[in-house]
Amino acid sequence: MCDNTIKVGEYIVIQKQNYKKLHKFNKPNSSVNVGKDTINLIGIEGCQYFSIFKMIPKGTKRNKEYDLELSKEALNLIQEISLKTSGTDNRNIYDDGRSQKLSATEISELKSDSISASEIVETLITNSNTFHNKTEFSQAKYLKKKEKKYFEYIQILKPNLRNITEILYKLDPSKVQGVRIDTLSQIMTLSNISSEGNHLLYDSGSNGLLVAALLSAMGPQSNGQLVHMHPGNMSQKQALLAMNFTSEQNNKCVSVNVYSVLRQVYQGSDTNSADSATEKTTNLKRKAPENIEHESKLPKLEVSDTISDVNLNKEHDDAKENNDDKENSEVKENSEIEERAPKKPKWHFDNIRASEILTQKVDSLVIACKEDPQNIFMELMNFVKPGRPFVIYYSVAEPLQNLYMTLKSLSNVGALRLTNNWMRNYQILPDRTHPEVMMNGSSGFLLSGYILK
Amino acid sequence: MSFRNYKSKIDEGDTVILYLSNNLHAIEVKPEIKNKKGEMVENVYQTTFGALKVRNLIGVDYGSRVDLSKGWGHVLQPTPESWSLTLPHRTQIIYTPDISMIMLQLDLVPGSVVIEAGTGSGSLTHALIRRIRPHGHVYTFDFHDHRAKVAQEEFDDHGLAEFVTARHRDVLAEGFGDELSGKADAVFLDLPSPWSGIPHAVVAIKNEGGRFCSFSPCIEQVQRTCSALESHGFQDISTMEVLQTEIKVTKRTVPVRDLSFLRHKSSESPVDEKPNSEKSFVVGTWPTSTPGHTGYLTVATLPPTFIRKKCNQVQESSDQLKTIENGEKDKPNGAEEMSIDENQ
Repeated sequence: MCDNTIKVGEYIVIQKQNYKKLHKFNKPNSSVNVGKDTINLIGIEGCQYFSIFKMIPKGTKRNKEYDLELSKEALNLIQEISLKTSGTDNRNIYDDGRSQKLSATEISELKSDSISASEIVETLITNSNTFHNKTEFSQAKYLKKKEKKYFEYIQILKPNLRNITEILYKLDPSKVQGVRIDTLSQIMTLSNISSEGNHLLYDSGSNGLLVAALLSAMGPQSNGQLVHMHPGNMSQKQALLAMNFTSEQNNKCVSVNVYSVLRQVYQGSDTNSADSATEKTTNLKRKAPENIEHESKLPKLEVSDTISDVNLNKEHDDAKENNDDKENSEVKENSEIEERAPKKPKWHFDNIRASEILTQKVDSLVIACKEDPQNIFMELMNFVKPGRPFVIYYSVAEPLQNLYMTLKSLSNVGALRLTNNWMRNYQILPDRTHPEVMMNGSSGFLLSGYILK
Repeated sequence: MSFRNYKSKIDEGDTVILYLSNNLHAIEVKPEIKNKKGEMVENVYQTTFGALKVRNLIGVDYGSRVDLSKGWGHVLQPTPESWSLTLPHRTQIIYTPDISMIMLQLDLVPGSVVIEAGTGSGSLTHALIRRIRPHGHVYTFDFHDHRAKVAQEEFDDHGLAEFVTARHRDVLAEGFGDELSGKADAVFLDLPSPWSGIPHAVVAIKNEGGRFCSFSPCIEQVQRTCSALESHGFQDISTMEVLQTEIKVTKRTVPVRDLSFLRHKSSESPVDEKPNSEKSFVVGTWPTSTPGHTGYLTVATLPPTFIRKKCNQVQESSDQLKTIENGEKDKPNGAEEMSIDENQ
């Protein structure tokens, strides 16, 4: 059961109605912005996940600052406000702007003085000329709309792949390369990922979503390993950190720079000057904490992201050359020089471990890139065992279509499929069932197949 | 046994997938099979590219090319995805796009305990097993005794027996059984009337809460399921549809018709009024006919007991649906007792 209590240092999901937010719960009395409101999280530590809290205004409501109080249930307006009369249709309702008797200033006073949402809405309804003539369905719709505005409860949920995918995608699809939840679910099945075997992922900017997905399917306490290749200096980890994996599970994943690890695989480790290596090591050590700190700030900022991420949205090669500072290129150059340095940085061992996994070959290959997938696939397919599947994700079809034509002519790739998804959500209500008014039309594309001998 | 672990070589008893220019076939590697008269004969698999002597597959590396009498193919180790495309159909099955979404929506990870009803042809079951192993377990039920039996035999043959229990049981009438009360992380229902299985799902799901998913082809089923979920204290209820389209990629050469020469009076002999060059594109052609509907996926969360009970109380007092359902359920029991009394 202790597994299900909210702990400081973990990521949490704050849900207010249909809005969900990912937050790193760093300090017991930290604050978080949810929409326009600022909520102080004091008191949630030690509560169980799924707990519901009532937002209690701090001082006047105008400040939009709230404390939390543990609540047994979230009351919704429809339960609180009893509807007495309703009309049959809208033939007698005119939009003349005079149906609400209260003035705008009276309403804003009401908003800041009232204790509860139901009080506000009830006053609004009693002062409305037309509300009682509206149909039952229309009244329910009105209450739902108002509820969205005045809802006073939040629920704390435990992050998992499903809600992290949903939150990150809603926030900005381009930050996760437009990997939609249905497409992500298919990447996980088509790559045949499971608790065992060694797997290879190349990801150039999904904020860690792909690595979080694959690692979650690999689970804890098993012997599978994941090589996570990325083009930059640091791997993007936001979604991975949000999963709150144990270190045991995180250790299944070895994140390596794609240049360093391939150099390690093909050229082996260089054993040059130990002096310069130590120098570089200290240099690196100074750099590392900064990076970590930077990442932990990410979820709070939400919209603004790492600089490197913004760059990735541009030409990828630009990002490499212009913005990765000198240290970065030194890091790459020195990956081999480090061999006999007294204190070797973690990435040095990571490169060695990853190259060992790669030389034994892997059981699946997943690529989700912003670059042209062709060269990357042609290089990485050499590390895949014959008879094993691969999946390549791209946000638009054309690069995958070109790759398809190239692969079609190869004898050691088979069962190629280029697919696209369509997903629609539904409103299910008695006598009011229909597809949701807005749907998402961009799922991205998957090219999948098998490596043959 | 080829479903259990990654393997490099084909052994006798494996199921292999034979890949022939975008056609997949599942073959059980048995050197000999019974013919119609019940005699053991050499197992020869017939394909459009000629015959394959199954005996010759033993010892071959997975991924290898195998020669057929009129061509060749490749042998692959089966995955739940390739199995879904090749398995012997005993019922309608759920395919990979829905399976993938179901697993993600059910929050399944290695170690999860998941209940599935009905088993059907075991298409989803294979994918569930892969996701929850090695520490999790799949309990799968079917009210058709033969199907349940065949499914269990298949899981045994595939070396998956320790991760799955297939039972013959009418779960809508009998529930999932006492031994599963409070044991499941997730419940999946693919039944004609999933709403009547929801009370049993509530019993089976762990005290810490869990996920529910139902697959129904018709919207009327979804409506009843959603109102039952709401009255049983589920939250985050949502319904979706997922479809996958395969795009055919081809190289297309199209004629280029130049019209610009018409602007000027040409002194030379008249230009041919025909397309005069060609241009090549790689194009993705969308199918003229593609699956337009499989089923609606309705998913929901059952919150932990500490918060669930209160939900239920509120719902019970206000919601008629629940009381009606309880009434229905109570009746048969009551009737039985009465009949016993009469007999006495």
